[in-house]
Amino acid sequence: GDSWGIFTFLCAALCNLPALPALNCSEELGTSQSIQKTYDLTRYLEHQLRTLAGTYLNYLGPPFNEPDFNPPRLARAERVPSATVDLDLWRGLTDNARLAANYRAYSRLLCYLRALDGQAGTAELRHRLGHFCSSLQGLVLSIAGVMSSLGYPLPTGPAGGPPASPGVPAAPNDFLKKMDDFWLLKELQTWLWRSAKDFNRLKKKVPPAVVTLRLEAREF
Amino acid sequence: DSHIQYERVGADVTMKCGSMDWDAAVTWTANGTDIDESHLNGSYLILKNVDLTQSGQYSCYEGSSWHLKYQTYLRVGTPPKEPVLMCRSNNYPKGFYCSWHLPTPTYIPNSFNISVIHGTREMVCEKDVFPKNRCHIRYLQLFSTVKYKVTLTVTNPLGKNSTTLTFDEFAIVKPDPPESVVAKPVPSNPRRLEVSWQNPSSWPDPESFPLKFFLRYRPLILDQWQHVELSDGTSHTITDAYAGKEYIIQVAAKDNDIGTWSDWSVAVHATPWTEEPKHLTTEAQVTETTSASTSSFMPPPTTKICDKGAVVGSGAVAVCWTAGLVLAAYGVLFI
Repeated sequence: GDSWGIFTFLCAALCNLPALPALNCSEELGTSQSIQKTYDLTRYLEHQLRTLAGTYLNYLGPPFNEPDFNPPRLARAERVPSATVDLDLWRGLTDNARLAANYRAYSRLLCYLRALDGQAGTAELRHRLGHFCSSLQGLVLSIAGVMSSLGYPLPTGPAGGPPASPGVPAAPNDFLKKMDDFWLLKELQTWLWRSAKDFNRLKKKVPPAVVTLRLEAREF
Repeated sequence: DSHIQYERVGADVTMKCGSMDWDAAVTWTANGTDIDESHLNGSYLILKNVDLTQSGQYSCYEGSSWHLKYQTYLRVGTPPKEPVLMCRSNNYPKGFYCSWHLPTPTYIPNSFNISVIHGTREMVCEKDVFPKNRCHIRYLQLFSTVKYKVTLTVTNPLGKNSTTLTFDEFAIVKPDPPESVVAKPVPSNPRRLEVSWQNPSSWPDPESFPLKFFLRYRPLILDQWQHVELSDGTSHTITDAYAGKEYIIQVAAKDNDIGTWSDWSVAVHATPWTEEPKHLTTEAQVTETTSASTSSFMPPPTTKICDKGAVVGSGAVAVCWTAGLVLAAYGVLFI
């Protein structure tokens, strides 16, 4: 009994390292550790995105790579899921709603990002985008894992579906296409900042005590 | 009749004695003192290349009757230079405040007007009673992708100037420094200091928006700081203090994920516990040697020196890696 506890503690400690988001540390980590892992993954992705977005915006060229660039949000940008939310509404979200919002957003963002993949400039940029998409896929799966461990159903809808949702026209010109890319990256960045806060709240709601109880039950 | 007149430093000022003719005989005074006739052109008072010392009350009296014909208050000043504007959110996610000042004084009254635009919406920045030159805004939405554009216009009778700041919601988050920092020696531990502090009271929701902390400490006699980054908790025990030396300690705070570090807290001083010297005999020396050898068996400190500059990203990982390896090592030992 004693060695089980130590093993779990070790596992949890090692898996909490933000440098190893993909570490497969045995089957059941417990909900609390899953949430921590998802949190760490959002931080890792946010860090990766900073470099990726810089490179991609440079590839798009001015004015997209100018730090002061502050365009009005066009109607067509509305299809990209926005992290923006009313403060009280955000506070009052149930755990299920909070997780579902994250799951839906990243699923769609992943779709759009994958569509970006084929057209990007240099091979290096395409490689970086591909790597980021894999990590983002990992995040989507991680959120799904948390939801199922808490007993919530996964939201239905196009999770890994076709890149462009039907009814939204492709950009009619090169400039608007670049605007689409710009807003995609911006929303992705904002979502990653928001998710860190979402998962902070979830962390507090699911105490680590849950983990010990579940393991002891399994021993019998 | 009396009024106020504003003029620029270095300007040439001509004052007419009200409705009096040019060739009327008048006497001008400045703050009650007669002005020499050499400054007059007829009944006009000519002041060339005015400076700040020439501000004051100017009066014109009819020659013989000594009736007051005209009075004006001259204020010499400058048009405003570009103001300095700063916006910051020390109470995220409630909102943010902006404060401003002029880089150089104008010596005449200035009025400030601030406008905040978020996308298409204009928001109202409520002026603070104290300090002046400060206003605050409540966030209506969180996690916004649209930037905030704050324009401050300063106007005075001699001109106007303005400056604009554009920023993202996350970029201006900077908490106030931690409060109530306390450092105490630990009894019977000559190399330890126990430091504790509190979240800044202006940070409204540390539960959902946790802060992380940065501690720096050094003995007064050395210039080089040691640093520790702490991702949670509001206390820390320094375990590598030099025995008997007075330390200076400060703490800074940052939102766990966004924004920038706060300023350093107020510095506290503390000296580690030292044994009361009883007699200077070999007995005391034996005691010292024993305690020195037992301390070498203590587990290595889990605090690591992190360069503050490298903290964001890879530096934090280095801290966690080291802690993880230490934990792993002990885990292996115990299994």
